[in-house]
Amino acid sequence: MTITETTHSNIHLVALKGALDASTAATLAKNSVLSGNLPTVIDLSGVDFLDSSGLGALVGIARKKRAANSDTLLACLNTNVRKVFEITHAYRLFDIYDDPYTAAEELSKKISAL
Amino acid sequence: MSHTITLTVPGDISYTRVASSSASQAAELFLLSIDKLEKKTEFCHAFELAISEAFANAVNNANDLTEPQPITIQFIRKGSTLTATVSDRNKPFSIETPMPDISTYPENGFGLMLIRNVMDCVSYSRKDNTNTIRMSKTAS
Amino acid sequence: MKTLIVIKEQNHAWVRNAFPGIHPLLLTLCNKPYIEYLIDFAILSRSEEIRIMSDGSLGEVEAYCMNGSRWGVELTYSNIRTTDDITTILQKNSRFCRDNRTMVINGFVFVDYDKESQYDSIINTMPDGVIASAENEGCLILRGQERNPDAAPAPSPPINLESIDSIESYYRISLDILKNKSSQFVLPGYGNEPECFIGRNVVISKSAEIEKPVSIGNNVQILSGTHIGPDAIVGSNVIIDKNSTVTESIVLDNTYIGEELDITGKTAFQNMLSDPGTQAVLSMEDPHLLRSTQNNGTLSALLRQITHAITALTIIILLMLPFLLIAPLLMVQGKWKKRLTDYHGAGDKKVISIATGTIPNQGVTGKLASIFSLNRYPLLFRVIKGDLSLIGNLPAAVSDNSSAPDQDNMTHYYRPAVFSYAEAENWPVIGSDAAIVERYYMVHSNPLKDIGMTMKALINLPHKNTPK
Repeated sequence: MTITETTHSNIHLVALKGALDASTAATLAKNSVLSGNLPTVIDLSGVDFLDSSGLGALVGIARKKRAANSDTLLACLNTNVRKVFEITHAYRLFDIYDDPYTAAEELSKKISAL
Repeated sequence: MSHTITLTVPGDISYTRVASSSASQAAELFLLSIDKLEKKTEFCHAFELAISEAFANAVNNANDLTEPQPITIQFIRKGSTLTATVSDRNKPFSIETPMPDISTYPENGFGLMLIRNVMDCVSYSRKDNTNTIRMSKTAS
Repeated sequence: MKTLIVIKEQNHAWVRNAFPGIHPLLLTLCNKPYIEYLIDFAILSRSEEIRIMSDGSLGEVEAYCMNGSRWGVELTYSNIRTTDDITTILQKNSRFCRDNRTMVINGFVFVDYDKESQYDSIINTMPDGVIASAENEGCLILRGQERNPDAAPAPSPPINLESIDSIESYYRISLDILKNKSSQFVLPGYGNEPECFIGRNVVISKSAEIEKPVSIGNNVQILSGTHIGPDAIVGSNVIIDKNSTVTESIVLDNTYIGEELDITGKTAFQNMLSDPGTQAVLSMEDPHLLRSTQNNGTLSALLRQITHAITALTIIILLMLPFLLIAPLLMVQGKWKKRLTDYHGAGDKKVISIATGTIPNQGVTGKLASIFSLNRYPLLFRVIKGDLSLIGNLPAAVSDNSSAPDQDNMTHYYRPAVFSYAEAENWPVIGSDAAIVERYYMVHSNPLKDIGMTMKALINLPHKNTPK
């Protein structure tokens, strides 16, 4: 699992690549942006496989940021990843975009409006 | 005639990808052998996901006081049905777990629900201190 | 051109109450699932890609529609949140909508279109915005490119939207499609008569009357003396029993209409009969609409038992030679797998242990054994003993609660048997399909008919076991 950090519209954009499963989920918690309190867009376009451990890691990130009044947006779920979200109803917890930059722009607008 | 592939994987979480990608490949080979390639991606993903979950469940269920035990994964082809079993010699567990409430942001508890959803038939047995989850799916 | 179909759970919550178990997007209007009408309309508008979005589960819809290759379009799916408005939804699908004119079909609405109309050219002349609307926020919206300001004002599009917000509107729209608008849509069904749509594997008794307009689905049995139509929509896997009448009504899939019933102006779904006008719902205790059920007399039960035993003995004698030749060979080869399982017994017998055998349909011996259904041969002796019937229900395993016979109503109709009626009729042997067939024959069979059904089962089983 590789993690690439960029910014767009002053919002942290974290792109994940590889399989997000029990063996790699723990690496997310070690990333400072993901484990921090800043609003973040997580780009999953490079994630070809996700299981419940990976989902749990994403949910954990979202919960911590939510507790700090921050947002986590997801972008670019492929069919297999979306299926896991569908079965577990995890889509109810996230705003999911099909483009990470649009997600970042919308998040930036939302923060500016506050 | 049935064909069986047996894989023994160390009971360490770092081997999850070995287990799950083997499952995906076994499923793909199976579909080729019965000349049914419809819904191939969905079928292979089902096994990849189910084995990933079952393997992780087996590893996490390890006895704290002993060395991690190897986990045995088998793929058995019979007709148009592929059955996968994951066996470990760890603590017993139950597959009758209720679905967690997603609104409470739970980080665990979705594994067995995912297995049940993607597989046609799931069962659990414990014999001779060995847990076995048996999952099967028929290619349609 | 691309199309976004946005349907939120709150728009179709009534469907889950009225027709439990049916995904609202797969609810049939006339004889076609609702979502297919929207897909057809999107295709008529020259959409090459369609995205279906909901704040609820789309698994069943995805399993049915798959990737859209059936229609020659690319179908994708996405989840939204309940609070998302159209603007947010468009932003969440910005990549999908980029550089393309996008049509948004919002709400659980019926789009009243005509397949002969050229919607692509009409829509291309329309400006962005709402081009049609219905109640409950249902609307058709265009986004993407501005119309040429010098162009002539676009005509109103021949598109009407109607919200499907109750069983009444569902009933009215379905029958309207059948009666008045069947030529506007692509409706499945065989037959070269207008206003008459018949599906596959439909058995209509000689004395049954069918009056147009009518739509009948797949795997339907219409028995003697029935009158179907006018204005009748019968779904798939339905049995309409003798001397019943169905007019101005909708009988949904997997429903059994019993004898001598008059269904007029209603919707019938499994064990529920609804009046669309008053929204009153009658829920039957029995899972099917049956005539008054009668307990079989002791004498007829005894006659049945004797007939079954004699027939079983005859089959034992006829198949003795094949069994004695083939079974030992299979056992030596390790291909005869036996398993002892506890099943619910009939009547006073609470639990019976049955050794079921499986044989592979491979190799010469395996294929021969399948042709003669030799794995069932040892069970024939249980028929003579009285533990099993020759033909009846598939035995319900004690470990499987879902198949346990309903103790209150159906115990006297549960007859664990060597062969099942569903196997004889070549119907699916699981779930509600098998339940319909088995319960029908429980009421209507007699010992002589049972012999015929047993022969049918013996003929059909080998075909079922043969891999395709």
